[in-house]
Amino acid sequence: MAPDFSFMQDSQSDSSGTPADGGVNFDNFILEIEPDPETTQEEAAQTKPESNPNLQVQFKSERGRLLLLLPPAPEKSRNPVYWEDLRDQLKRRLSGGERFLQPHTPVHLIARDRLLNSQQIQEIDAMLSDAQLPLKRIYSSRRQSAVAAATAGYSVEQQTTLGHLGQGQEASRQAMDEPLYLQTTLRSGVEVRHRGTVIVLGDANPGSSIVAEGDIFIWGRLRGVVHAGADGNRQCRIMALHMQPTQLRIADQVARSPEDPPAQYQPEVAYIGPDGIRIALAAEFALADLPANLPTQESP
Amino acid sequence: MSRIIVMTSGKGGVGKTTCTANLGMALAKAGQRVAVVDADFGLRNLDLLLGLENRIVYTALDVLAGECRLDQALVKDKRQPNLALLPAAQNRSKESIKPEQMKRLIKALTKVYNFILIDSPAGIEMGFRNSIAAAREAIIVTTPEISAVRDADRVIGLLEANDIKAVRLVINRLRPAMVAAEQMMSVKDVQGILSIPLLGVIPDDEQVIVSTNKGEPLVLDEKLSKAGIAFTNVSQRLQGEKVPLMDLSIPQDNFFTRLKRLFGVSS
Ligand SMILES: Nc1ncnc2c1ncn2[C@@H]1O[C@H](COP(=O)(O)OP(=O)(O)O)[C@@H](O)[C@H]1O
Ligand SMILES: [Mg+2]
Repeated sequence: MAPDFSFMQDSQSDSSGTPADGGVNFDNFILEIEPDPETTQEEAAQTKPESNPNLQVQFKSERGRLLLLLPPAPEKSRNPVYWEDLRDQLKRRLSGGERFLQPHTPVHLIARDRLLNSQQIQEIDAMLSDAQLPLKRIYSSRRQSAVAAATAGYSVEQQTTLGHLGQGQEASRQAMDEPLYLQTTLRSGVEVRHRGTVIVLGDANPGSSIVAEGDIFIWGRLRGVVHAGADGNRQCRIMALHMQPTQLRIADQVARSPEDPPAQYQPEVAYIGPDGIRIALAAEFALADLPANLPTQESP
Repeated sequence: MSRIIVMTSGKGGVGKTTCTANLGMALAKAGQRVAVVDADFGLRNLDLLLGLENRIVYTALDVLAGECRLDQALVKDKRQPNLALLPAAQNRSKESIKPEQMKRLIKALTKVYNFILIDSPAGIEMGFRNSIAAAREAIIVTTPEISAVRDADRVIGLLEANDIKAVRLVINRLRPAMVAAEQMMSVKDVQGILSIPLLGVIPDDEQVIVSTNKGEPLVLDEKLSKAGIAFTNVSQRLQGEKVPLMDLSIPQDNFFTRLKRLFGVSS
């Protein structure tokens, strides 16, 4: 079956304060920071802060149009996406999944509660135009953004709730999103988060990270950090043509690459076995392990 | 009371991260409890130099976001358990953390560690301000180059303005032969401009690159290289020991170097 079990197993807390490494010569300790006085007050006053940490710039097709969903306002998010990050994410989405974005599809920009000035809106428009996608309409729950958009000459709809557009968070919480397809090299510092499966046609370089609620496929060299089943799904898998990650995570399990790399790489699959994350040759994995994971079998 | 020291320079690539990794490791070897904090959000490196990249599970941002406790984010060094790294987030800009948040992180660390070394990013913007927010001392790292020294001078001014008074100097990548040939600023030249106490001089040493690539700080080597000795000396001076400056001068003695040595100012 799996030829390479040499991946070192780690529980999430191994690299933390537990003396799992042995030889820790001062007492095991728990260390917490003081709560932030500002945000705790703010949070109480505000209408429920965004709780899903996995939101990034996202495209969704809906009845012949394309919804461009922006991440929520950074002030309210636990995983804030600032304008510079947003712009980079959008660029990556546009260039990485190009072949699936049909030119001339009208785009509706769902800005949620983000503050956007007219210059930023124009910048988004310019990026979309480069991909031959016309920006049709802007939805925002912030008056300032709506005014900025209108002043810059766009059609605007100011809305307090997201309504049917982009489903809101509640509707899409249970179901995963469609797979995210990226044809690009993920370089150091890039983090891709997606509420579904992520497919990368290219390399994931050291210093990059992918956090997916579904599976992760790397049609290339995997050398960064990847987390499949980030929401806790232990059935998720990570597959790569060249499996040389800095770190692998599936659900709550963590594994690192062995110190000495093999002489040659072959396509491999990482999954959770009885004793943690395992690696198997892709060819053998298909035969040996797939039947065990059929839905008819009881899951652990 | 814990010592909270920021390693800073203004200019990039002068050796802040190299110094932080080696000093942290040398202090830990000497029995101090050391936390090294990577404040270079977006361009983190310290984990690489310490060979700890693949052991990072949480970062400082996760702690601030309430995703984990501080002790869970600390990466303990296997070789030297007195040393722990608080990793920065790789995927965020320097703007994603505020000075006040940095203060809360460092304050909590002081409960366990007696040395906290903060590796600052290049520049004098937000990232720099975060890295100095909690510091009580600073080590200025510079190379003997006009531009690096100029930036260091600027930073010293900013530190003074932020009430960090204990500021000391490490001159990195000195090449004695070039100094002798008057092609490089000497220790005296640099000190003449910056006029802050000298903590040490680190020679330019290709072993630094070897150790960086291995993820093993020089001070761990069995047989210490010149730079390894120099870093160890700096760590001893930092702990209050009197260690004479290493003799980096080139062997062929001429009248002047001998004369200088007589007066105890040889580099
Ligand atoms: N004493 C030294 N001798 C030779 N190379 C050095 C020395 N100190 C630093 N370097 C090299 O200089 C480069 C920048 O060092 P680094 O510590 O990353 O600087 P910074 O953190 O200030 O940007 C690295 O490639 C490092 O290996
Ligand atoms: Mg650095």
